[in-house]
Amino acid sequence: MIRFDDVSVTYRGGVRALRNVDLRIDDGEFVVVVGLSGAGKSTLLRALNGLVPATSGSITIDGTEVVGAGSAELRTIRSRIGMIFQTFNLVNRTSVLNNVLMGRLASVPAWRSTIGLWPAPDREIAMQALERVGIVEKAYVRAANLSGGQQQRVGIARALAQEPSVMLADEPVAALDPVTSRQVMGDLRRINRELGITTLVNLHFLDLAREFGRRLVGLRDGEVVFDGDISDVTDETFRNIYGRAITDDDLLAVDGEPSE
Amino acid sequence: MNGESAGGRPTRPRPGVRTWAVVGVIVAYTVFAGRQVDFDLSTFWNVWSNPLWEKFWPVPWDWVLDRHNVLDPLVETFQIAVVATLVGCGLALPLAFTMSPLTSPNRPTLVVSRSVMNVVRAVPDLFWAKLLVTAVGIGAFAGSWALSVFSLAVMVKLFSETVDGADPRPLEAARASGGRHLAVVRTGVLPTVLPEYVAYALYVFELNIRASVVLGLVGAGGIGRVIEAQRQYFRFDRVLGILMLVLVVVFVIEQVSVAIRRRLV
Repeated sequence: MIRFDDVSVTYRGGVRALRNVDLRIDDGEFVVVVGLSGAGKSTLLRALNGLVPATSGSITIDGTEVVGAGSAELRTIRSRIGMIFQTFNLVNRTSVLNNVLMGRLASVPAWRSTIGLWPAPDREIAMQALERVGIVEKAYVRAANLSGGQQQRVGIARALAQEPSVMLADEPVAALDPVTSRQVMGDLRRINRELGITTLVNLHFLDLAREFGRRLVGLRDGEVVFDGDISDVTDETFRNIYGRAITDDDLLAVDGEPSE
Repeated sequence: MNGESAGGRPTRPRPGVRTWAVVGVIVAYTVFAGRQVDFDLSTFWNVWSNPLWEKFWPVPWDWVLDRHNVLDPLVETFQIAVVATLVGCGLALPLAFTMSPLTSPNRPTLVVSRSVMNVVRAVPDLFWAKLLVTAVGIGAFAGSWALSVFSLAVMVKLFSETVDGADPRPLEAARASGGRHLAVVRTGVLPTVLPEYVAYALYVFELNIRASVVLGLVGAGGIGRVIEAQRQYFRFDRVLGILMLVLVVVFVIEQVSVAIRRRLV
């Protein structure tokens, strides 16, 4: 269970990215977070794994406090949280397998990862993660030589290799074409169902949010302005979250047909 | 004019008065500085009529190609350059990482390593050589040390800029996976900057070959010492032969190095 209690994040320079956020997320939930750019979506995810320190409040994962955790504690917390990025964040100049093995960093002694001597069980976990996203045949290909959709799958495999209990996806499809976007979202939903990994996904396409989300959290200026079941969401809800009318730019609209 | 909108082509901007003023100041100061140091192009022609030049010819190839006279010291120069490149570039790798805000483990380390490198860089390489010749005695050992320090300074300067400009995104991904700092930098940053590192190391090696010739002049071993000795005996014919040989060696090494570097980056 993930709990945000009265969490605020103020960046140096005074920008308040999150204001008094309260959230409860149960194990195994699939939560979609929507909001305009700058509404605090990325900050929300990064506060959870401590990449961005919360300024005040409390964030706990299964009872472990993230806010103010020491570096060793923080590493333990992060090792249980997989993260997927908008721009994939792969090391382009090395192999797909090496990228996925990065997910094993917390479990492997530093001297081993430093000289590239990964233990066989960890290599096996990495291979299985690649199998789960269906690109194990690319294991020894340089990451730079993959298409965008394949690169994001490597990103997912890297997160899976951590054997995480929570998965954070920060705009995972913003850099992908519509068809690939839906495949990647499908991968995330399948992993959520099959492995029971609690999943938080930032999205800005409303139709994708409707199609894949079960629970929707809406952020506006760092505040939670909506939190509820996706079936209760209307266009009026989105208007309220975005603070303006919905346009075609807010929809992915695959093959020209808007969903529902 | 400039503020015009809606489709009209803008007029091409002309270099302003300020540009001409800057050029004017630079030219004027160059002329002034030349007067101050008695720089005079006509003296350049007088140099060519100096009888000294006749001493350069013919080159005594028998002496130059004798192993003990030139080839052995030349090999020593090469070896000094190899050792210095490996030591200097080896030390530069971790140092460059501690010097970048992106990859430094903490702020104190950043400040300390930056200060140390500023001191090292402030001392000219020839002075390092003199200092080390005084400290450890004349010979290749002092030369290797002096050039190692020189390599370190150059390499850190070049490579730390690469580290500063490294892509922070894989680093963030590695950090998010919960690895220790060293492991995060090793897996998230090193592979992205390694080709540049090797390319710079080869470039530093090229510099070292040339610099170790110069360092020999102050007694730090290698071919430079032979050149200096022959110059003192006014055997400029031998000096010319040695320089031709050095030219060939430097040229070959640079060609190989450039070819490898081109493949890397």
